[in-house]
Amino acid sequence: MDTLLLARLQFATTASVHFLFVAVTLGLVTLLVGMQTAWVVTGNQRWERSTRFWGQLYVINYVLGIATGIVMEFQFGLNWSGLSRYVGNVFGAPLAIETLVAFFLESTFLGMWIFGWHRLRRGVHLALLYGVAITAYASAFWIMVANSWLQNPVGYEVRDGVAHLTDFSALLTNPALWTALGHVVSAALLTGGLLMAAISAWHLSRRTPDFALFRSSLRIGVVTAAVAISLVQGFGFAQFGPVGGAQPTKFGGTSPQAEALIADWTARFGPGDYLPPTLSSVGLGFMILIGFTLGLLWLFVPLLWRDWIIRLRFPLWLLILALPLPFVALILGWIAREVGRQPWVAYGLLPVDQAVSPISPWLMGTSLVGFTLLLGALAVTNWVLLARHAARGAADPALGRPPAQPPADDPRPEPAFA
Amino acid sequence: MELAWYALLGLFFAGYLVLGGYDYGVGLLLARGVDASRRRAALNAVGPFFLGNEVWLVAAVGILFGAFPVLEGELLAGSYPAVLAALVGVILVTAGVQLRSRPEGERARGAWDRVIVIGSLLAALGWGVMLAGLLQGVPLRADGHVAGVTHLFTPFAAATGLAVLALTVAHGATFLTLRMPVAESDQLRPLARRLLVTAAVAVSAAAVVGLSADRVRATAQRPAVGVLLAVLLVAALLAARVALGRRRPGVAFVATATALALPVLLVGATLWPYVLVSTLEPNASLTVTDAAASGPTLRLLGWLAVPLLPALLGFQAMCWWIFRGRTDGRAPVYW
Repeated sequence: MDTLLLARLQFATTASVHFLFVAVTLGLVTLLVGMQTAWVVTGNQRWERSTRFWGQLYVINYVLGIATGIVMEFQFGLNWSGLSRYVGNVFGAPLAIETLVAFFLESTFLGMWIFGWHRLRRGVHLALLYGVAITAYASAFWIMVANSWLQNPVGYEVRDGVAHLTDFSALLTNPALWTALGHVVSAALLTGGLLMAAISAWHLSRRTPDFALFRSSLRIGVVTAAVAISLVQGFGFAQFGPVGGAQPTKFGGTSPQAEALIADWTARFGPGDYLPPTLSSVGLGFMILIGFTLGLLWLFVPLLWRDWIIRLRFPLWLLILALPLPFVALILGWIAREVGRQPWVAYGLLPVDQAVSPISPWLMGTSLVGFTLLLGALAVTNWVLLARHAARGAADPALGRPPAQPPADDPRPEPAFA
Repeated sequence: MELAWYALLGLFFAGYLVLGGYDYGVGLLLARGVDASRRRAALNAVGPFFLGNEVWLVAAVGILFGAFPVLEGELLAGSYPAVLAALVGVILVTAGVQLRSRPEGERARGAWDRVIVIGSLLAALGWGVMLAGLLQGVPLRADGHVAGVTHLFTPFAAATGLAVLALTVAHGATFLTLRMPVAESDQLRPLARRLLVTAAVAVSAAAVVGLSADRVRATAQRPAVGVLLAVLLVAALLAARVALGRRRPGVAFVATATALALPVLLVGATLWPYVLVSTLEPNASLTVTDAAASGPTLRLLGWLAVPLLPALLGFQAMCWWIFRGRTDGRAPVYW
């Protein structure tokens, strides 16, 4: 095992786990904004309970998003110090902006939102959730700006072997950026929508007493997921043009552009294997298959009429069974994008073997095993907690519980000052 | 321009040590063996601030990457074991605090509390060792990379790690005397005062070990400033102890917050104009200017920072203002 392979495995593991959680974060917060707005505008208690129930699941899910996000941020410096040395002048800027504009504010707002129930005025409390949602989207945007730069480096010039920023606007008009951003954001909406639909379907299939709440959640989830899957497909296919143009070697196969590029690289960087492993395009095929399957979500929309979706029962089970699909597709799509730029960290500019930190394979291996076990254990624990809280229903979520009310989930009463 | 960004980096990392410091201090104090409801009350005293505290670290590393990319790579990769320990600690604390009350059973919550204790321990020790690593110089080769990681294992690094650990516990206890209801605060005060003395002793011990280490003496560009700031740090801790004795927890908290911020200033000022001093070749040492990103990047980030900083600090201040004062029965309980 060499350091490079271990470092790549660690990045793949952390990024995959991170992606599973942040997609849910981004999707759910969008729907939460709608629910809390409905509560503030209409004053209907059902929307308040919906916000508390889905909000609690959102907050539990957020924990792993932030934990893996911190590991991701440190990983660049720990394992890929060549990345910051050679291209940090350009690549560092969008990441720095992301941490300040998005990550920092998102967490600050969320802390106030969680502890602000019954304490802040409703408008302020709602504004905080809007803040959380806007910064979550800003976060996705700046991360995609940074990632798109790695896919297709633009707006820089190399002096003394180091890339310097020349045109920041080129990073924002990167052809690898906008369709990919649309694709990722709609995939997050699809995941959030389907998660909401599947959990509601589970409760409705068990004839929940909370029928009205889960009925409206089911309808929101199904419609969101159906609209989102069409956007996912649209942006996905729209990507092939610009991404294939910017990265001719990405999707395998041979084209005149790819051959010319490889000849150029061989002249500049020496002979080597400049094609990505086939693994990435195989995964891409499966992802497209899942994308088409989920397109069938539109069949559920007419069933919302007169609650046929609930009365027929089997559509509820289909929704529950479909829940893993967007998560698998997320990972496969991400692998296609990231593995597809091998053997480069920054496409055609910085090969992975020059970017990896010069540390011993033992240390890198320890870090890989340690973080994989730690994040894996936390991810599984988190999903178990999510499943339990989802199954418990919306009767009395801890989030937003009035301070005077004794917590039903506590085995003994809290002291007055808690 | 480089100096402004260096100061900003220092501000955010010091801010993290102050704010994250009491998270970890409160986390470590969970190990006291008090009953479950008191542990929960302590965590909910941190409550609304918790998520806003730890992101100061995220912002500091963001600034490190954006404005000092070369330093980011060499500092983190060159202090691998320390950063790894701190990072595992940060992850354990963030997951532990937010998830500990989600299971119902007292046993599961107790287990999560132990996770928080271990995480706080690792984070405090890890950051302490990383700061010590800067002060004792790193084996930076002429090719710009740090050679190996064994340079971290010295008595000075161990002493500094323990000193930062003692600082966070004392800071956490002081925070609780400020934030808990009066009755609880009165019970905590003697403990906080003892912990402040322990911290002062630990910091003094680390300073003595540092002064007697050749590597630290050779690395320090301004030893006098370093000694002066260390004295100031101990003075701040003793001042906090006096303030607690006079029942002025607010003053005491300001003093311990100063004590947590001072190590960052100490490292920055003692090494200036360098940021990484090489123990192998003097020419390989990295100055703040060398480590900084090139002009266009700093200018771009500068234009962004001007409107953004007031917003960032303003929203944090809003959080502190809304949830000011001691916790009471009207405060939501979530952690």
